[in-house]
Amino acid sequence: MAIYSAGRRRTMIILLLSSILLITLDLRGNAVFDAARTGFNYALRPFEIAGEVVTRPVERAWNGITQVDNLERENTVLQQQLDRLRSDQIAAQAALQENRELKALLDIDSLFASQRRTCSIIGSSPSNFDQRVEIDCGSVNGLRPGMPVLNDAGLIGKITTVSFDTSVVMLVTDTLYTVPVKVMAKVDPSPAPTTPSTVPSGLEVGDVTTTTTSAPPEETDTGTDTDTGTDTDTGTDTDTGTDTDTGTDTDTDIDTETDTGTDTDTGGSSASPDSVVPGGTTTTTTEVLVTRETGKLDGYGGALLPRVSLIDDSQAFGRISIGDAVLTAGGSLSLAPPGIPIGRVVNIITRAGVSGLELEVELNADLDRLNFLTVILYTAPREAAGLG
Amino acid sequence: MLGALLTSSLTRIIPIGMMLLALQTTLFSEMQPFGVIIQLVLTFAACAGAVGGPERGAIAGFVLGIMFDLSIGTPLGGTSIAMGLGGYVAGWCDVIRVETTWWFAAAFVALGAAVGETMVPVVRRFIGEEDAFVPEMLTIIPVVTVTAAILSIPLVPVARWALKLGTPEWKLPADG
Repeated sequence: MAIYSAGRRRTMIILLLSSILLITLDLRGNAVFDAARTGFNYALRPFEIAGEVVTRPVERAWNGITQVDNLERENTVLQQQLDRLRSDQIAAQAALQENRELKALLDIDSLFASQRRTCSIIGSSPSNFDQRVEIDCGSVNGLRPGMPVLNDAGLIGKITTVSFDTSVVMLVTDTLYTVPVKVMAKVDPSPAPTTPSTVPSGLEVGDVTTTTTSAPPEETDTGTDTDTGTDTDTGTDTDTGTDTDTGTDTDTDIDTETDTGTDTDTGGSSASPDSVVPGGTTTTTTEVLVTRETGKLDGYGGALLPRVSLIDDSQAFGRISIGDAVLTAGGSLSLAPPGIPIGRVVNIITRAGVSGLELEVELNADLDRLNFLTVILYTAPREAAGLG
Repeated sequence: MLGALLTSSLTRIIPIGMMLLALQTTLFSEMQPFGVIIQLVLTFAACAGAVGGPERGAIAGFVLGIMFDLSIGTPLGGTSIAMGLGGYVAGWCDVIRVETTWWFAAAFVALGAAVGETMVPVVRRFIGEEDAFVPEMLTIIPVVTVTAAILSIPLVPVARWALKLGTPEWKLPADG
Protein backbone atom coordinates (compact mmCIF):
# COMPACT_ATOMS: atom_id res chain seq x y z
CA MET A 1 0.00 0.00 0.00
CA ALA A 2 1.51 3.32 -1.04
CA ILE A 3 1.84 6.11 1.46
CA TYR A 4 0.69 8.63 -1.11
CA SER A 5 -2.33 7.81 -3.24
CA ALA A 6 -4.91 9.95 -4.98
CA GLY A 7 -7.71 8.90 -2.63
CA ARG A 8 -5.63 9.50 0.45
CA ARG A 9 -4.50 12.90 -0.76
CA ARG A 10 -8.11 13.82 -1.54
CA THR A 11 -9.22 12.81 1.94
CA MET A 12 -6.48 14.82 3.58
CA ILE A 13 -7.24 17.90 1.47
CA ILE A 14 -10.95 17.66 2.30
CA LEU A 15 -10.20 17.36 6.03
CA LEU A 16 -7.71 20.20 5.96
CA LEU A 17 -10.04 22.52 4.07
CA SER A 18 -12.91 21.58 6.39
CA SER A 19 -10.76 22.46 9.39
CA ILE A 20 -9.73 25.79 7.90
CA LEU A 21 -13.34 26.59 7.05
CA LEU A 22 -14.44 25.75 10.58
CA ILE A 23 -11.68 27.87 12.11
CA THR A 24 -12.55 30.81 9.88
CA LEU A 25 -16.25 30.62 10.64
CA ASP A 26 -15.67 30.15 14.36
CA LEU A 27 -13.21 33.01 14.70
CA ARG A 28 -15.66 35.34 13.00
CA GLY A 29 -18.34 34.32 15.49
CA ASN A 30 -21.04 31.88 14.62
CA ALA A 31 -24.26 31.31 16.53
CA VAL A 32 -24.58 27.76 15.21
CA PHE A 33 -21.18 26.82 16.60
CA ASP A 34 -22.00 28.44 19.93
CA ALA A 35 -25.18 26.39 20.10
CA ALA A 36 -23.22 23.28 19.13
CA ARG A 37 -20.75 23.94 21.95
CA THR A 38 -23.55 24.33 24.47
CA GLY A 39 -25.23 21.16 23.24
CA PHE A 40 -22.03 19.20 23.24
CA ASN A 41 -21.18 20.28 26.76
CA TYR A 42 -24.65 19.16 27.85
CA ALA A 43 -24.06 15.80 26.27
CA LEU A 44 -20.57 15.53 27.75
CA ARG A 45 -21.58 16.49 31.27
CA PRO A 46 -22.88 13.03 32.30
CA PHE A 47 -19.67 11.48 31.01
CA GLU A 48 -17.64 13.98 33.01
CA ILE A 49 -19.61 13.34 36.18
CA ALA A 50 -19.17 9.61 35.73
CA GLY A 51 -15.49 10.15 35.01
CA GLU A 52 -15.07 12.22 38.16
CA VAL A 53 -16.72 9.59 40.32
CA VAL A 54 -14.78 6.71 38.84
CA THR A 55 -11.40 8.39 38.79
CA ARG A 56 -11.53 10.24 42.11
CA PRO A 57 -9.79 7.46 44.07
CA VAL A 58 -7.03 7.28 41.47
CA GLU A 59 -6.73 11.05 41.46
CA ARG A 60 -6.45 11.19 45.24
CA ALA A 61 -3.88 8.43 45.32
CA TRP A 62 -1.83 10.26 42.69
CA ASN A 63 -2.06 13.54 44.57
CA GLY A 64 -1.14 11.77 47.79
CA ILE A 65 1.97 10.33 46.23
CA THR A 66 3.14 13.37 44.32
CA GLN A 67 2.11 16.30 46.48
CA VAL A 68 2.56 15.40 50.11
CA ASP A 69 6.08 16.81 50.39
CA ASN A 70 5.11 20.05 48.70
CA LEU A 71 2.07 20.40 50.92
CA GLU A 72 4.07 19.99 54.11
CA ARG A 73 6.60 22.57 52.98
CA GLU A 74 3.89 24.92 51.85
CA ASN A 75 2.00 24.49 55.10
CA THR A 76 5.00 25.65 57.09
CA VAL A 77 5.49 28.70 54.91
CA LEU A 78 1.80 29.53 54.99
CA GLN A 79 1.69 29.31 58.77
CA GLN A 80 4.49 31.87 58.96
CA GLN A 81 2.71 34.10 56.49
CA LEU A 82 -0.54 33.79 58.39
CA ASP A 83 1.05 34.98 61.60
CA ARG A 84 2.53 37.94 59.80
CA LEU A 85 -0.68 38.84 58.01
CA ARG A 86 -2.97 38.69 61.03
CA SER A 87 -1.73 42.01 62.30
CA ASP A 88 -1.89 43.58 58.86
CA GLN A 89 -5.44 42.41 58.39
CA ILE A 90 -6.82 44.50 61.20
CA ALA A 91 -5.29 47.66 59.82
CA ALA A 92 -6.35 46.75 56.30
CA GLN A 93 -9.97 46.18 57.29
CA ALA A 94 -10.15 49.59 58.88
CA ALA A 95 -8.64 51.19 55.79
CA LEU A 96 -10.99 49.26 53.55
CA GLN A 97 -14.03 50.38 55.46
CA GLU A 98 -12.83 53.96 55.34
CA ASN A 99 -12.19 53.64 51.63
CA ARG A 100 -15.69 52.33 50.99
CA GLU A 101 -17.26 55.13 52.97
CA LEU A 102 -15.25 57.78 51.17
CA LYS A 103 -16.08 56.32 47.77
CA ALA A 104 -19.74 56.22 48.68
CA LEU A 105 -19.55 59.85 49.78
CA LEU A 106 -17.88 60.93 46.57
CA ASP A 107 -20.11 58.70 44.44
CA ILE A 108 -17.17 56.85 42.93
CA ASP A 109 -17.74 53.45 41.36
CA SER A 110 -16.37 50.79 43.60
CA LEU A 111 -15.45 47.19 43.15
CA PHE A 112 -17.80 46.39 45.98
CA ALA A 113 -20.74 47.95 44.23
CA SER A 114 -20.94 45.15 41.67
CA GLN A 115 -22.85 41.98 42.32
CA ARG A 116 -20.85 38.82 42.77
CA ARG A 117 -21.46 35.17 42.15
CA THR A 118 -19.48 32.42 43.83
CA CYS A 119 -18.85 29.38 41.67
CA SER A 120 -16.85 26.22 42.05
CA ILE A 121 -14.46 24.70 39.56
CA ILE A 122 -15.70 21.57 37.86
CA GLY A 123 -12.90 20.97 35.41
CA SER A 124 -9.69 22.29 34.01
CA SER A 125 -8.35 22.52 30.51
CA PRO A 126 -7.14 19.23 29.10
CA SER A 127 -4.69 21.01 26.83
CA ASN A 128 -1.04 21.79 27.55
CA PHE A 129 -1.39 25.11 25.76
CA ASP A 130 -4.48 26.57 27.41
CA GLN A 131 -4.78 27.99 30.89
CA ARG A 132 -8.51 27.65 31.45
CA VAL A 133 -10.91 26.16 33.96
CA GLU A 134 -14.58 25.33 33.84
CA ILE A 135 -16.95 26.58 36.55
CA ASP A 136 -20.46 25.56 37.52
CA CYS A 137 -22.13 28.91 36.80
CA GLY A 138 -23.54 29.99 33.48
CA SER A 139 -25.93 32.35 31.78
CA VAL A 140 -28.64 31.27 34.20
CA ASN A 141 -26.58 32.89 36.97
CA GLY A 142 -26.18 36.12 35.03
CA LEU A 143 -22.68 35.43 33.73
CA ARG A 144 -21.55 36.90 30.44
CA PRO A 145 -18.31 36.63 28.47
CA GLY A 146 -15.68 39.08 29.65
CA MET A 147 -16.69 39.26 33.29
CA PRO A 148 -13.73 39.26 35.69
CA VAL A 149 -13.13 36.29 37.93
CA LEU A 150 -11.24 36.47 41.20
CA ASN A 151 -10.75 34.73 44.51
CA ASP A 152 -9.79 36.04 47.91
CA ALA A 153 -6.20 36.57 46.80
CA GLY A 154 -6.91 38.54 43.66
CA LEU A 155 -7.65 38.37 39.96
CA ILE A 156 -7.87 34.92 38.41
CA GLY A 157 -9.01 35.61 34.87
CA LYS A 158 -12.12 36.30 32.84
CA ILE A 159 -15.11 34.45 31.48
CA THR A 160 -14.66 33.47 27.85
CA THR A 161 -17.41 31.02 27.07
CA VAL A 162 -20.80 30.86 28.73
CA SER A 163 -23.32 28.09 28.37
CA PHE A 164 -26.55 27.64 30.29
CA ASP A 165 -25.10 26.42 33.58
CA THR A 166 -21.35 26.24 33.01
CA SER A 167 -18.69 28.69 31.88
CA VAL A 168 -15.07 28.63 30.85
CA VAL A 169 -12.64 30.94 32.64
CA MET A 170 -9.47 32.02 30.88
CA LEU A 171 -6.77 32.36 33.52
CA VAL A 172 -4.46 35.35 33.79
CA THR A 173 -1.57 33.19 32.63
CA ASP A 174 -3.21 32.24 29.32
CA THR A 175 -1.31 33.59 26.34
CA LEU A 176 -4.48 35.23 25.04
CA TYR A 177 -5.25 37.04 28.29
CA THR A 178 -4.75 40.77 28.56
CA VAL A 179 -6.05 43.41 30.97
CA PRO A 180 -5.23 47.07 31.67
CA VAL A 181 -3.42 47.42 34.97
CA LYS A 182 -1.92 50.06 37.19
CA VAL A 183 1.24 49.75 39.22
CA MET A 184 1.41 51.30 42.64
CA ALA A 185 4.92 52.70 42.56
CA LYS A 186 7.17 54.72 44.82
CA VAL A 187 8.57 58.14 44.04
CA ASP A 188 12.24 58.96 44.51
CA PRO A 189 12.91 61.23 47.51
CA SER A 190 13.81 64.15 45.31
CA PRO A 191 11.62 67.13 44.54
CA ALA A 192 9.26 66.06 41.83
CA PRO A 193 8.89 68.31 38.83
CA THR A 194 5.62 69.97 38.15
CA THR A 195 3.01 67.76 36.63
CA PRO A 196 3.44 67.69 32.86
CA SER A 197 0.52 68.73 30.76
CA THR A 198 0.76 65.56 28.76
CA VAL A 199 1.61 61.98 29.53
CA PRO A 200 4.13 60.13 27.34
CA SER A 201 1.40 58.90 25.07
CA GLY A 202 0.66 62.48 24.14
CA LEU A 203 -2.75 62.60 25.72
CA GLU A 204 -3.72 65.40 28.03
CA VAL A 205 -3.34 64.52 31.65
CA GLY A 206 -6.97 65.16 32.25
CA ASP A 207 -7.92 62.64 29.59
CA VAL A 208 -6.26 59.67 31.14
CA THR A 209 -6.44 57.98 34.47
CA THR A 210 -2.72 57.98 35.13
CA THR A 211 -2.43 61.30 36.83
CA THR A 212 -0.45 61.45 40.00
CA THR A 213 -2.42 60.84 43.11
CA SER A 214 -1.37 61.24 46.64
CA ALA A 215 -1.32 58.86 49.52
CA PRO A 216 -3.86 59.31 52.28
CA PRO A 217 -2.89 62.00 54.79
CA GLU A 218 -0.71 60.40 57.37
CA GLU A 219 1.91 62.80 58.68
CA THR A 220 3.65 61.78 61.83
CA ASP A 221 5.98 64.27 63.32
CA THR A 222 8.30 63.32 66.12
CA GLY A 223 9.04 65.43 69.14
CA THR A 224 7.34 68.62 70.17
CA ASP A 225 8.79 70.83 67.52
CA THR A 226 6.69 73.37 65.70
CA ASP A 227 6.53 73.21 61.95
CA THR A 228 7.12 76.65 60.54
CA GLY A 229 7.82 75.62 56.96
CA THR A 230 6.05 77.01 53.99
CA ASP A 231 4.23 75.13 51.25
CA THR A 232 4.68 76.45 47.77
CA ASP A 233 1.79 75.95 45.38
CA THR A 234 3.06 76.02 41.82
CA GLY A 235 -0.37 76.67 40.47
CA THR A 236 -0.37 73.57 38.33
CA ASP A 237 -2.20 71.34 40.73
CA THR A 238 1.04 70.02 42.08
CA ASP A 239 2.47 71.12 45.35
CA THR A 240 6.15 70.53 45.82
CA GLY A 241 7.05 71.87 49.20
CA THR A 242 9.99 71.70 51.50
CA ASP A 243 9.17 72.04 55.16
CA THR A 244 12.00 73.00 57.46
CA ASP A 245 11.65 72.92 61.20
CA THR A 246 13.41 75.43 63.31
CA GLY A 247 14.92 74.48 66.63
CA THR A 248 16.90 71.42 67.35
CA ASP A 249 14.95 69.10 65.07
CA THR A 250 15.13 69.34 61.32
CA ASP A 251 12.34 67.90 59.20
CA THR A 252 12.85 67.50 55.49
CA ASP A 253 9.55 66.56 53.97
CA ILE A 254 9.26 66.12 50.26
CA ASP A 255 5.62 66.16 49.37
CA THR A 256 4.02 65.59 46.04
CA GLU A 257 0.43 66.56 46.32
CA THR A 258 -2.58 66.80 44.14
CA ASP A 259 -4.75 69.80 44.58
CA THR A 260 -8.28 68.53 44.52
CA GLY A 261 -9.66 71.97 43.93
CA THR A 262 -10.78 72.39 47.47
CA ASP A 263 -7.42 73.53 48.78
CA THR A 264 -7.06 70.40 50.81
CA ASP A 265 -3.48 69.67 51.65
CA THR A 266 -3.31 65.91 51.56
CA GLY A 267 0.35 65.71 52.39
CA GLY A 268 2.55 62.70 52.12
CA SER A 269 3.12 59.85 54.42
CA SER A 270 6.05 60.18 56.76
CA ALA A 271 6.66 56.58 57.38
CA SER A 272 10.40 56.59 57.32
CA PRO A 273 12.28 56.06 60.52
CA ASP A 274 14.02 58.92 62.21
CA SER A 275 17.77 58.90 62.31
CA VAL A 276 19.71 60.42 65.19
CA VAL A 277 22.84 62.26 64.17
CA PRO A 278 25.67 63.28 66.56
CA GLY A 279 24.81 66.39 68.51
CA GLY A 280 21.29 65.30 69.21
CA THR A 281 19.81 66.45 65.90
CA THR A 282 17.05 64.22 64.50
CA THR A 283 16.41 64.13 60.76
CA THR A 284 13.15 62.79 59.35
CA THR A 285 12.95 62.14 55.61
CA THR A 286 9.67 61.40 53.91
CA GLU A 287 10.26 58.83 51.20
CA VAL A 288 7.09 56.91 50.65
CA LEU A 289 4.76 58.62 48.30
CA VAL A 290 2.53 56.43 46.25
CA THR A 291 1.72 57.21 42.69
CA ARG A 292 0.58 54.99 39.86
CA GLU A 293 1.42 53.98 36.35
CA THR A 294 -0.74 52.10 33.91
CA GLY A 295 0.09 49.42 31.43
CA LYS A 296 -1.16 46.21 29.92
CA LEU A 297 -0.80 42.83 31.58
CA ASP A 298 -0.42 39.82 29.28
CA GLY A 299 -0.28 36.13 30.09
CA TYR A 300 2.70 34.15 28.87
CA GLY A 301 1.64 30.57 29.48
CA GLY A 302 1.54 28.40 32.56
CA ALA A 303 5.23 28.34 33.43
CA LEU A 304 6.03 32.00 32.81
CA LEU A 305 4.94 34.94 34.88
CA PRO A 306 2.53 37.43 33.33
CA ARG A 307 4.14 40.65 32.21
CA VAL A 308 3.08 44.26 32.25
CA SER A 309 4.12 46.25 29.21
CA LEU A 310 3.58 49.81 27.97
CA ILE A 311 5.14 51.08 31.18
CA ASP A 312 7.08 54.31 30.87
CA ASP A 313 10.22 54.55 32.96
CA SER A 314 9.52 58.13 33.88
CA GLN A 315 10.45 59.88 37.07
CA ALA A 316 7.32 61.95 36.79
CA PHE A 317 5.11 58.93 37.35
CA GLY A 318 7.30 57.32 39.96
CA ARG A 319 10.08 54.78 39.84
CA ILE A 320 8.78 51.26 39.78
CA SER A 321 10.58 48.86 42.03
CA ILE A 322 10.37 45.20 42.90
CA GLY A 323 7.52 44.53 45.27
CA ASP A 324 5.21 47.20 43.90
CA ALA A 325 1.59 46.15 43.77
CA VAL A 326 -0.23 45.60 40.48
CA LEU A 327 -3.98 46.17 40.31
CA THR A 328 -6.54 46.36 37.55
CA ALA A 329 -6.83 49.85 36.11
CA GLY A 330 -10.44 49.82 35.02
CA GLY A 331 -11.50 52.34 32.42
CA SER A 332 -14.20 52.47 29.80
CA LEU A 333 -12.63 49.76 27.65
CA SER A 334 -11.51 47.43 30.40
CA LEU A 335 -13.58 44.37 31.15
CA ALA A 336 -12.46 44.47 34.78
CA PRO A 337 -13.33 47.20 37.29
CA PRO A 338 -10.48 49.15 38.85
CA GLY A 339 -8.76 48.08 42.02
CA ILE A 340 -8.70 44.29 41.82
CA PRO A 341 -5.33 43.17 43.18
CA ILE A 342 -3.35 41.03 40.75
CA GLY A 343 0.10 40.58 42.21
CA ARG A 344 3.49 42.13 42.83
CA VAL A 345 6.35 43.11 40.59
CA VAL A 346 9.15 40.56 40.90
CA ASN A 347 11.32 41.51 37.96
CA ILE A 348 11.84 44.68 35.97
CA ILE A 349 13.00 44.24 32.41
CA THR A 350 14.46 47.30 30.75
CA ARG A 351 14.01 47.22 27.01
CA ALA A 352 15.98 49.10 24.47
CA GLY A 353 14.79 52.26 22.80
CA VAL A 354 11.39 53.66 23.54
CA SER A 355 9.87 50.29 24.36
CA GLY A 356 9.81 51.21 28.04
CA LEU A 357 9.84 48.81 30.91
CA GLU A 358 8.39 45.36 31.12
CA LEU A 359 7.45 44.02 34.52
CA GLU A 360 7.14 40.40 35.54
CA VAL A 361 4.31 39.98 37.99
CA GLU A 362 3.99 37.27 40.59
CA LEU A 363 0.30 36.62 41.02
CA ASN A 364 -1.31 36.85 44.43
CA ALA A 365 -3.58 33.94 43.62
CA ASP A 366 -2.19 30.43 43.37
CA LEU A 367 -3.69 29.23 40.11
CA ASP A 368 -2.68 25.64 40.80
CA ARG A 369 -4.96 25.42 43.80
CA LEU A 370 -8.28 26.89 42.85
CA ASN A 371 -11.53 25.65 44.30
CA PHE A 372 -14.06 28.45 44.53
CA LEU A 373 -14.05 31.50 42.35
CA THR A 374 -16.01 34.72 42.47
CA VAL A 375 -17.36 36.21 39.30
CA ILE A 376 -18.03 39.94 39.42
CA LEU A 377 -21.14 40.67 37.41
CA TYR A 378 -19.50 43.72 35.96
CA THR A 379 -20.12 45.21 32.57
CA ALA A 380 -17.54 47.54 31.09
CA PRO A 381 -18.82 51.14 30.98
CA ARG A 382 -18.66 51.34 27.21
CA GLU A 383 -20.45 48.04 26.84
CA ALA A 384 -22.99 49.05 29.45
CA ALA A 385 -23.65 52.27 27.54
CA GLY A 386 -24.25 50.21 24.41
CA LEU A 387 -26.68 47.98 26.23
CA GLY A 388 -28.54 50.90 27.70
CA MET B 1 -15.35 6.41 1.70
CA LEU B 2 -16.39 9.30 3.94
CA GLY B 3 -20.00 8.22 3.62
CA ALA B 4 -19.12 4.68 4.55
CA LEU B 5 -17.31 5.87 7.63
CA LEU B 6 -20.25 8.00 8.66
CA THR B 7 -22.45 4.96 8.74
CA SER B 8 -19.96 2.70 10.38
CA SER B 9 -17.04 3.51 12.63
CA LEU B 10 -18.06 7.02 13.69
CA THR B 11 -20.96 5.56 15.61
CA ARG B 12 -18.36 3.95 17.85
CA ILE B 13 -15.66 6.61 17.71
CA ILE B 14 -17.91 9.41 19.00
CA PRO B 15 -19.11 7.69 22.21
CA ILE B 16 -15.61 6.37 22.92
CA GLY B 17 -14.27 9.83 22.23
CA MET B 18 -16.71 11.31 24.74
CA MET B 19 -15.62 8.84 27.40
CA LEU B 20 -11.98 9.59 26.73
CA LEU B 21 -12.69 13.31 26.72
CA ALA B 22 -14.39 12.96 30.10
CA LEU B 23 -11.31 11.15 31.42
CA GLN B 24 -9.10 13.80 29.82
CA THR B 25 -10.91 16.67 31.52
CA THR B 26 -11.03 14.97 34.91
CA LEU B 27 -8.34 12.44 35.76
CA PHE B 28 -5.71 13.36 33.20
CA SER B 29 -6.02 17.09 33.86
CA GLU B 30 -5.01 16.39 37.44
CA MET B 31 -2.35 13.77 36.85
CA GLN B 32 0.45 15.76 35.36
CA PRO B 33 3.79 13.97 35.26
CA PHE B 34 6.50 16.64 35.04
CA GLY B 35 3.73 19.23 34.87
CA VAL B 36 2.47 17.95 31.53
CA ILE B 37 -1.10 16.90 30.78
CA ILE B 38 -1.19 13.48 29.18
CA GLN B 39 -3.04 13.66 25.87
CA LEU B 40 -5.43 10.71 25.97
CA VAL B 41 -7.67 11.80 23.11
CA LEU B 42 -4.74 12.56 20.83
CA THR B 43 -3.28 9.15 21.69
CA PHE B 44 -6.54 7.49 20.71
CA ALA B 45 -6.53 9.33 17.38
CA ALA B 46 -3.00 8.08 16.78
CA CYS B 47 -4.06 4.54 17.76
CA ALA B 48 -6.88 4.72 15.23
CA GLY B 49 -4.29 5.60 12.61
CA ALA B 50 -1.93 2.84 13.72
CA VAL B 51 -4.58 0.15 13.29
CA GLY B 52 -6.68 1.65 10.52
CA GLY B 53 -4.19 3.39 8.27
CA PRO B 54 -3.57 7.06 7.46
CA GLU B 55 -7.05 7.88 6.12
CA ARG B 56 -8.98 6.39 9.01
CA GLY B 57 -6.49 7.89 11.43
CA ALA B 58 -6.89 11.33 9.92
CA ILE B 59 -10.69 11.12 9.92
CA ALA B 60 -10.78 9.82 13.51
CA GLY B 61 -8.39 12.59 14.52
CA PHE B 62 -10.53 15.17 12.76
CA VAL B 63 -13.68 14.04 14.56
CA LEU B 64 -11.98 13.75 17.95
CA GLY B 65 -10.38 17.16 17.42
CA ILE B 66 -13.75 18.77 16.79
CA MET B 67 -15.09 17.16 19.96
CA PHE B 68 -12.06 18.45 21.85
CA ASP B 69 -12.57 21.99 20.53
CA LEU B 70 -16.28 21.89 21.32
CA SER B 71 -15.45 20.82 24.84
CA ILE B 72 -12.78 23.34 25.79
CA GLY B 73 -13.87 26.34 23.74
CA THR B 74 -10.85 26.66 21.45
CA PRO B 75 -11.46 27.68 17.83
CA LEU B 76 -13.34 24.87 16.15
CA GLY B 77 -11.10 22.97 13.74
CA GLY B 78 -7.78 24.01 15.28
CA THR B 79 -7.25 20.80 17.23
CA SER B 80 -8.77 18.81 14.36
CA ILE B 81 -5.80 19.65 12.16
CA ALA B 82 -3.35 18.64 14.89
CA MET B 83 -5.11 15.39 15.79
CA GLY B 84 -5.86 14.58 12.15
CA LEU B 85 -2.19 14.89 11.32
CA GLY B 86 -1.29 12.83 14.38
CA GLY B 87 -3.63 10.05 13.21
CA TYR B 88 -2.31 10.31 9.68
CA VAL B 89 1.35 10.01 10.73
CA ALA B 90 0.60 7.09 13.04
CA GLY B 91 -1.19 5.48 10.11
CA TRP B 92 2.10 4.94 8.32
CA CYS B 93 2.54 2.09 10.73
CA ASP B 94 -0.26 0.25 8.98
CA VAL B 95 1.20 1.07 5.59
CA ILE B 96 4.77 0.04 6.33
CA ARG B 97 4.05 -3.22 8.10
CA VAL B 98 1.41 -5.76 7.18
CA GLU B 99 0.89 -7.29 10.60
CA THR B 100 1.34 -4.77 13.40
CA THR B 101 2.97 -5.88 16.64
CA TRP B 102 2.19 -4.02 19.86
CA TRP B 103 5.61 -2.40 20.12
CA PHE B 104 5.60 -1.35 16.49
CA ALA B 105 2.17 0.23 16.94
CA ALA B 106 3.36 1.88 20.17
CA ALA B 107 6.29 3.46 18.35
CA PHE B 108 4.07 4.90 15.63
CA VAL B 109 1.42 6.03 18.08
CA ALA B 110 4.17 7.86 19.96
CA LEU B 111 5.37 9.43 16.73
CA GLY B 112 1.83 10.44 15.75
CA ALA B 113 1.15 11.91 19.19
CA ALA B 114 4.41 13.87 19.07
CA VAL B 115 3.54 15.30 15.67
CA GLY B 116 -0.02 16.07 16.76
CA GLU B 117 1.07 17.85 19.95
CA THR B 118 3.70 19.82 18.06
CA MET B 119 1.06 20.91 15.58
CA VAL B 120 -1.14 22.48 18.27
CA PRO B 121 1.01 25.62 18.73
CA VAL B 122 1.79 25.68 15.01
CA VAL B 123 -1.90 25.87 14.15
CA ARG B 124 -2.49 28.45 16.86
CA ARG B 125 0.32 30.57 15.52
CA PHE B 126 -1.32 30.45 12.12
CA ILE B 127 -4.64 31.64 13.51
CA GLY B 128 -3.02 34.64 15.13
CA GLU B 129 -1.99 33.63 18.63
CA GLU B 130 1.27 35.46 19.27
CA ASP B 131 2.75 33.43 22.09
CA ALA B 132 1.65 29.99 20.99
CA PHE B 133 5.10 28.44 21.38
CA VAL B 134 5.71 28.07 25.08
CA PRO B 135 9.13 27.18 26.52
CA GLU B 136 7.71 24.06 28.14
CA MET B 137 7.42 22.50 24.68
CA LEU B 138 10.75 20.79 25.35
CA THR B 139 9.12 18.95 28.24
CA ILE B 140 5.63 18.61 26.83
CA ILE B 141 6.55 16.80 23.63
CA PRO B 142 8.75 14.06 25.20
CA VAL B 143 6.26 13.39 28.00
CA VAL B 144 3.30 13.24 25.61
CA THR B 145 5.30 10.95 23.32
CA VAL B 146 6.29 8.49 26.04
CA THR B 147 2.86 8.40 27.67
CA ALA B 148 1.24 7.90 24.27
CA ALA B 149 3.46 4.88 23.68
CA ILE B 150 2.44 3.42 27.05
CA LEU B 151 -1.26 4.21 26.61
CA SER B 152 -1.26 2.70 23.13
CA ILE B 153 -1.09 -0.78 24.67
CA PRO B 154 -4.68 -0.64 26.02
CA LEU B 155 -5.97 1.83 23.44
CA VAL B 156 -4.95 0.02 20.23
CA PRO B 157 -7.47 -2.82 20.77
CA VAL B 158 -10.14 -0.24 21.61
CA ALA B 159 -9.32 1.64 18.42
CA ARG B 160 -9.46 -1.58 16.44
CA TRP B 161 -12.92 -2.28 17.84
CA ALA B 162 -14.04 1.30 17.25
CA LEU B 163 -13.00 1.10 13.61
CA LYS B 164 -14.64 -2.31 13.30
CA LEU B 165 -11.42 -3.93 12.22
CA GLY B 166 -10.68 -7.56 12.84
CA THR B 167 -7.27 -9.01 13.58
CA PRO B 168 -5.62 -9.54 10.19
CA GLU B 169 -5.56 -13.13 9.08
CA TRP B 170 -2.97 -14.30 6.60
CA LYS B 171 -2.97 -17.52 4.70
CA LEU B 172 -0.01 -19.01 2.92
CA PRO B 173 -0.61 -19.37 -0.80
CA ALA B 174 -1.41 -22.91 -1.74
CA ASP B 175 1.26 -24.80 -3.66
CA GLY B 176 0.74 -25.24 -7.33
